[in-house]
Amino acid sequence: MWGSIFLAVFGTSFGLLAAAGVFTVLVAVGIVPRFAGKTHTAGHVLLYEDMVIWGTVVGCIVSIFERYFHIGTRLFRMGVPFSVVQVGGNFVTGIIGLFSGMFIGCLALAIAEMLDSIPIFTRRIGFRHGLGIAICAMAAGKLAGSLMYFYLCLHEVVK
Amino acid sequence: MAGTVCYLKLNRNVEVMEDSVFLKDVGSVYCADKLVTAKVKSMKLHHFEKGQGSRCVISVLKITEMIEELCPQVTVQSVGEADVVAEWVQVSGHKKAKEFWKILLVSVISFFGTAFTIMAYHNDIGIVNVFSQIHRIVMGTEPTGISVLEVSYSIGLSLGIIVFFNHVGKRRITTDPTPIEVEMRKYEADVNTTLVDTADREGRTIDVG
Repeated sequence: MWGSIFLAVFGTSFGLLAAAGVFTVLVAVGIVPRFAGKTHTAGHVLLYEDMVIWGTVVGCIVSIFERYFHIGTRLFRMGVPFSVVQVGGNFVTGIIGLFSGMFIGCLALAIAEMLDSIPIFTRRIGFRHGLGIAICAMAAGKLAGSLMYFYLCLHEVVK
Repeated sequence: MAGTVCYLKLNRNVEVMEDSVFLKDVGSVYCADKLVTAKVKSMKLHHFEKGQGSRCVISVLKITEMIEELCPQVTVQSVGEADVVAEWVQVSGHKKAKEFWKILLVSVISFFGTAFTIMAYHNDIGIVNVFSQIHRIVMGTEPTGISVLEVSYSIGLSLGIIVFFNHVGKRRITTDPTPIEVEMRKYEADVNTTLVDTADREGRTIDVG
């Protein structure tokens, strides 16, 4: 009984501080305001914040209570044909991958930009034209690196 | 009449719907002489040509010059910004639909992106191991299935986010602006400073001389 109470208190405070930590980074990088600025929809910032909140809550629940979320297996057991599950699953994972990739891509460059690495570089080497090409090259590099990481199973090496 | 002071407060950034910028669009004017106020307010500052860019930076000096040309007897006193950025927003028929798709796109990216981020964070810190370790320490047994810890952690996380972002749906907890709103204004101010500085450097500011 006391153990459970302790666990509850511990878990709640851990959650509170983890939220503060993760969100300070997201807000300090200022990625959502940038989306809103680019699309001229600053009036809907509250909606975007709601989406950030729901995204985090859903992500948290899915990753912690993972065993209850094996939707594909469940659908298959309920009698949905395997091919349907496969096609639908690929579609859903494709969507999740695409949008989370966009977010992470923006986040990665936003963090790099926080250190002003690109402006400093361009100033040091007297780089005036072709900034667009440099950005495209960075994007291509990220794409190649990401594909290589998954193709060569580099994540196995880290383990 | 001589020595009438006309106070002029320019905004930092304005959007106009028409292809001409009038003084009343870019700031507010106060003058003891109502006639001068009306005349000055309807003064045309700039006309956007099609295909020539839809943004201009106007210096307060240029406006002062124009006002003093129009009403030689007034003295202009600027109490606002030194430069104003005016943007011509062309209203098109499918604006609503386009805006809807943009909002949807940003919402979906924010949703999946943050879901991905928190999952990656959990993976990073190996949260399952941490939880089972704590369970072993406190209860002295191996965890079987989901325990109080996971549930309370999720509740704590949600509470933390809501306190941090200061609102649930449209209802605010306190009257302060939310962190993203603050960040939004900061970003807008940065963009504006950049626009003014770039126009200045390239000599595109509408200025005297």
